[in-house]
Parts: sequence; C-alpha cells; structure tokens
Amino acid sequence: MTEPKKLLVIDDDPDFVAGMKAILDTAGYDVDVSYNPKEGFAKLKAKRYDLLLLDIMMGRGAEGVMMARKIRKEPALKDIPILIITGIREQVAFMFPGQAVHPHFVPLDELVEKPVEPELLLEKVSALLKASEGREKP
Amino acid sequence: MDTARILIVDDEEIVLDSCTEILRGEPFELATASNGARGLALVSEFRPDLVVVDLKMPGLSGFDVLERIREADPTIVAIVITGYATVSSAVEAMKKGAYDFLPKPFTPDEFRLIIRRGVEKRSLVLETIALRRERELLREHFASIVSHELKAPLAAIQQNLYALERELAPVSTEDQRGRMGRTKTRVGDLLQLIETWRRGVSVDIEAIKAQCALVSVRVPIEKAVDSLAVHAERKEVELMASVPEPAPLVWGDQGTLTQVLVNIMGNAIKYSRVGDRVSVSAEARGGTVRITVADTGVGISPDDLPLIFNAFYSAQPGAAGERGSGLGLAVSRRIVEAHGGTIAVRSTPGKGSTFVITLPQRTDDGPGGHPREAESPTATPKEGRR
Repeated sequence: MTEPKKLLVIDDDPDFVAGMKAILDTAGYDVDVSYNPKEGFAKLKAKRYDLLLLDIMMGRGAEGVMMARKIRKEPALKDIPILIITGIREQVAFMFPGQAVHPHFVPLDELVEKPVEPELLLEKVSALLKASEGREKP
Repeated sequence: MDTARILIVDDEEIVLDSCTEILRGEPFELATASNGARGLALVSEFRPDLVVVDLKMPGLSGFDVLERIREADPTIVAIVITGYATVSSAVEAMKKGAYDFLPKPFTPDEFRLIIRRGVEKRSLVLETIALRRERELLREHFASIVSHELKAPLAAIQQNLYALERELAPVSTEDQRGRMGRTKTRVGDLLQLIETWRRGVSVDIEAIKAQCALVSVRVPIEKAVDSLAVHAERKEVELMASVPEPAPLVWGDQGTLTQVLVNIMGNAIKYSRVGDRVSVSAEARGGTVRITVADTGVGISPDDLPLIFNAFYSAQPGAAGERGSGLGLAVSRRIVEAHGGTIAVRSTPGKGSTFVITLPQRTDDGPGGHPREAESPTATPKEGRR
C-alpha cells in the first residue's frame, strides 16, 4: 500500500475545516489542520506536506495572501502545490463561473470558492498532486 | 441632538429681549446679535442649530445673513422675521433657503411654536445626514460584512452538509437523503442570494479603474451576444449586433463592460415576446462612443421608467413571467459611471425600449494624449484574460 498523501489545511474557521477535512479523510488523505497562519506556517516548515489547502481571506484582511507570498519566497516550500480557498471570488470572475480570476501565488495553484462541492474538492486535490508529481520526476 | 442652540439676529433691542423672555424655561441655549455681522460671527462661534433673522436691518441685511449662513452650513435651519407682513419678501427668503417666516408683530405662542417646529426640523435634518453617512459606510463595508458575518457561517454549514451526506449515505434512508438534499439546496439558494446582494451594492469602482485598458467595443459586445445567444434562441427572439469597422476604442474593463451588456441585453430579451428583435450597435460620434441596445419588446411603463436604475427596484415580470433581483441595472449604472460614462433609457409601452450607454472615446494614441501609458504593464490589454 502506498503511503497516504499528506495535506495541510490552514483556515481560521474550525467548522468549515471540519467539513472539508471529513471529505478528505474519507478519500484516504492524511490531513493536518491549523487555524491560524502563523502556526500553519510553522507546521509547513516542520514537516513535509504534499499539498496545502489555504484560505486566502483569513481574519479581517488577506492574511492568507501574505502567507502565500511568504511561501513563494521560501526555497524549501515554494514547490508545494496550493489549493487556494476563498470566501468571495473576485469581482470580475463572477461572470464566468468556473473561470475565477487566478492570482497564481506559487507555480502550482488552483482556486476554489467556499463551500466546495466534494467532487470538485477531490478532483482539484488529486489533479494538483498529480501535476506536482509530474514536476518532481520529469 | 443635545440642547438645541438658537441664535436670534435683530437690530431692535426690544425684539431680542422679548424673544429671550418668551423662550425662558424652554430647553434651548440662546444667543442674540444686534446686527448681521455680529450674527454671522456667532454662527461660527456659537454653532447654532437654528437662526432667527430679521430681514430688515441696517448694514448687512437679513437676506445677506441668510445667504452667508447657507454658504457656511446649509443644514442650519433659518427662520426669518418680516417687518411688515409682505408676502414677497417672505417668498424671497424662502427661496434663499429659509425654513419658515414670522410676520411682525407676533404673539409669544406663535414665536414658541415656530421655534419648536424649526428645532424639530433641525433634528430631522441631522438625522437624515447621519443616516445617509451610515448608509455610505454600510455600502463601503458591505462586502466584508457580508463575506465574514453571513457567508462564512453558511459556507461552514454547507461544507458539513456535503461531508455528512457522503458519510451517512450508506446508512441513511431515502427520506433522510431527500431532506439532506433539500437542506443543501436551501443553504445554496441563500448563499446565491447573498452573493447577488453583495455584487449589487459593492461594485468596486477602484478595482474597475485598475483593470482598465484600451478595449475595442467589439469585444464586450461579441462576448455578450455569445453568452446570450442560446437564451435568445430559446425565447425565439432575434439577436443582432452591428459594430463598425474599425470598431471604436474605449478605456475600459472588458469584464465589467461585458457584464453591463449582458445585463441590459438580457433584460431586453426577458421583456421581449416571440418574434421580437433585440439589436446592439456601436458608433463613435464627437469624442464619445455610443452603444445602443434596442428591443421591440413590451416596453417600460412611464411610472417605472425613472426608477429602473435604483437598487432593488424590480418592475413587472418579464414577457414569460421572469423576475429579476432588481439589481442588474443598478449595478450596470455604477459600472458605466466608473468608466466615466452615462446610461440612459427611453421606452414606449408595447413598442419596446432603447438603452444608450455613452463612454468617452479613446484612440490608439493612448488615454488623454499620453501615448506611453498604453504601453505600461497595467495599461496593456491583457491577452487571454477572462
């Protein structure tokens, strides 16, 4: 049996995280969670994760955005794929559902809006993991 | 409002004294001035809520005082005392912004009554200002209030419903799964509704300006036609576009301009009957670009016409009974205004409506005669941006 993929969720809404984690758990992923960016970043540095699920609109500001920028600057972390989770899609994007304006914080990222349908969540997660593996072994 | 401050400006000592006497015991703070200049000085020092001015004074006349008060603070309530009960001077004073007038001679009761009414008016004025400010603040903060206070808990609920539905699938009855499904739908509808409201009140003008680039009007027109073609076909409404070659250019945000056209053309289709026609055309004329959306549909009643750009105003249902959120046109107007443009409508019930969007025209030379700006990274039309 292959080792389950390790996922980290950073989001300041514990109830939302619980709902998302349950879906990922059932799908066989090994999921860690963190409810604030500072602790999340520490976890990310302490252990190797295959994928990060990051809420970009934590707190009143965009702490998640700052965090994504920090990750990009960190050589050890910059290759981690990120599934960006946002409460509100950017203004321009609502016209074209499914084609959200994509900020691209790190080389490999995708954007989904809360709440995330289970099928979509699992599809994005596995697509990002696959893309990331493809990059590691060219 | 705390204790109302009242300023009385009159050159006759006896009037000032008797007015002071009449208001003794009333919950007002009082100041008096025996000429216009002193009165105006007190307007800024004493900051009155209400000013009573005698129209006929030597030096600075009551009219002058009235005018300067309006300039200094148009929210101060002014009452004029007319020496002789001449209607003409009272009317003129009212035109200059006086709230009411009091002909001499007046009884203590008349004076007390008019002061009380004036003070009441002042507190209504202040309340209106406060409410208006509150509304603006609310509008500004609405996006963040909505996202954090309403959307976040609903998203958490929905996410758990998604998870629970999957987890319980093997052990739940068909009835339970049905209820779970309907609960999910209801929460989803609520999220959708909140999103519609949020978009309606929080058109981010700065974000639109930041996204602006040199755009051919052909692009948003064709995109809007593309996204509405199926809808029009289903309703058997003919959809036509005509854009001259070369198409006029504007300085705009392609995404939101498309949104405006989708809203307006979508409305036109909604209010059209089988066999009707919706046409969109563009032309450049005298430095402006006019985009005209005309339909041969049911039209808008004269009662509705002045209100259709207001938020949450939804006119009668569409030709097939469709109803809108009452936000499409309000959002469209805000977007067009963010582009420095205007939007106008004319309509004949039963014959159809015509919406005209007017935007400032730009040329290849770049905006406002700054050719370089068109080459800067922010100004370059972004290839492939969706």
